Amino acid sequence: MTEAPVNGTMAQEFRPFFEALAGGCISFPRCDTCGRFHWYPRYWCPYCGSVAIQWRKIDGRGTLYSWTTVHHAFSGDPPRPLPYIVGLVEFADAPGVRLITNIVGTDPARLFENMPLAPVISLTPQPTVAFEPVETASEVAHS
Amino acid sequence: MDDAGIRPSEVDGVVSDAGIMPNTVPAEFVAAHLGANRRFSCGSSFGGAGICAAPMLAEAALAGGHASVVVCYFGVDWGSAPSGPYGFHDAYPAKRTFEKPYGFIAQPSYFALWARRYLNRHPEALAAFAELAVLHSENAQKTTRSQLRNPTTLESYYNSPVVSDPLRVRDCCLISDGAGAFVMTSRSRARDCRKRPVHVLASALAAPPITGDDVFTQNGNLTELPGASEAMTAALSMANIDRSDLDFAQIYDCFTISCVLQLEGLGFCGEGEGASYVLDGHVRRNGRLPINTHGGLLAYSYRLGIEHVVEAVRQLRGEAGAGQLDDPQVGIVTGLSMPDYGVMVLGR
Repeated sequence: MTEAPVNGTMAQEFRPFFEALAGGCISFPRCDTCGRFHWYPRYWCPYCGSVAIQWRKIDGRGTLYSWTTVHHAFSGDPPRPLPYIVGLVEFADAPGVRLITNIVGTDPARLFENMPLAPVISLTPQPTVAFEPVETASEVAHS
Repeated sequence: MDDAGIRPSEVDGVVSDAGIMPNTVPAEFVAAHLGANRRFSCGSSFGGAGICAAPMLAEAALAGGHASVVVCYFGVDWGSAPSGPYGFHDAYPAKRTFEKPYGFIAQPSYFALWARRYLNRHPEALAAFAELAVLHSENAQKTTRSQLRNPTTLESYYNSPVVSDPLRVRDCCLISDGAGAFVMTSRSRARDCRKRPVHVLASALAAPPITGDDVFTQNGNLTELPGASEAMTAALSMANIDRSDLDFAQIYDCFTISCVLQLEGLGFCGEGEGASYVLDGHVRRNGRLPINTHGGLLAYSYRLGIEHVVEAVRQLRGEAGAGQLDDPQVGIVTGLSMPDYGVMVLGR
């Protein structure tokens, strides 16, 4: 339904993440030899050196590790509405990965460490994944 | 050159960092303007860690007979360059691909994630951030050269705009255009220089095996600065001194939070004690460890640490004017350029 959402100049080892997003999934690189996830993507495992890297799809639910509400338009950044929340998210089924994302559907004052989050994938203008509180997600599901 | 009392034509070595200067003001450009015939040029690390590591290279050149007078220099135009310091991180492929689309592009946001984790564990740090902003401003006011003109008070700190929560404008370093340099030569050549020489007692660099892409988000628990402890241990051992021998520390204060984390990483206090150490007044001019006696990156200028070196030399020569400490004998300059960390020890 959509073109492969990858930038022609993107590093080869980054592409599987976006290919999975285009299919509605989150996946991370995991070493088949030592069993550990790593992030950002590498050609070989940073822990054991093995090149047997497999991308593994995860459930997608995560928890909030840290966050910041950005109130300033930094030069070089495309215009975007202020403020916005940048979150750093961890995943129980991909230990060792922390993902930079935006937190949406909540107020900054309601955020807390280890807050349960659910993914919101968008494919345009480029594939991205934001996260929202799990409570919000279930309200939407029931409405 | 004038300050050293050495003719530019005597320069035969040029040293800087390996990350920023080679693409902006390379060694050959500096040498040509000096009229210097180069026999040696080299760079290590980048930015603040690079300038702390520069004497390591200069000393190697002097000791090996590869040069007799070495100029170490650094400068930036990030005050007027369109994307300033933020453009620097475009060089990192994973940051460009996985972070930029979410508006995570700037150093204040990187350190805000660290500050959030730290504050969640040590809520008193909020007051320590304010104290550091005021202290740096007070130190800057004692010079006649600081870029920050309006003094920071506790009130103005808390009224300053939030940039990346919890960091406010006054938690962040200035953005500047400027440069600086120092000259290194042998002990014998330095004897008849125009001014009393300052001795480099140590120059150390440490960097764990993590990329610049990963270090802001994937490293440890985000409240431990990579390399600081290792570089400090190496520098103290090289100089054969203890922390208690230090009369000042010019610490790489890119943010108030990074200043607190360095006080811990450098071993001046224990893990989690940085905020209390600041609030107890130890880093004030009359405290146990006066820091950033010129106002640092937060209130003097942001030239990534070369101004820390110049201030350390001023202090050791007794040339710091209204900001002069009482007869300091030895001090350090530190540089944080994640994941690299540099420590330089200077003495009279």
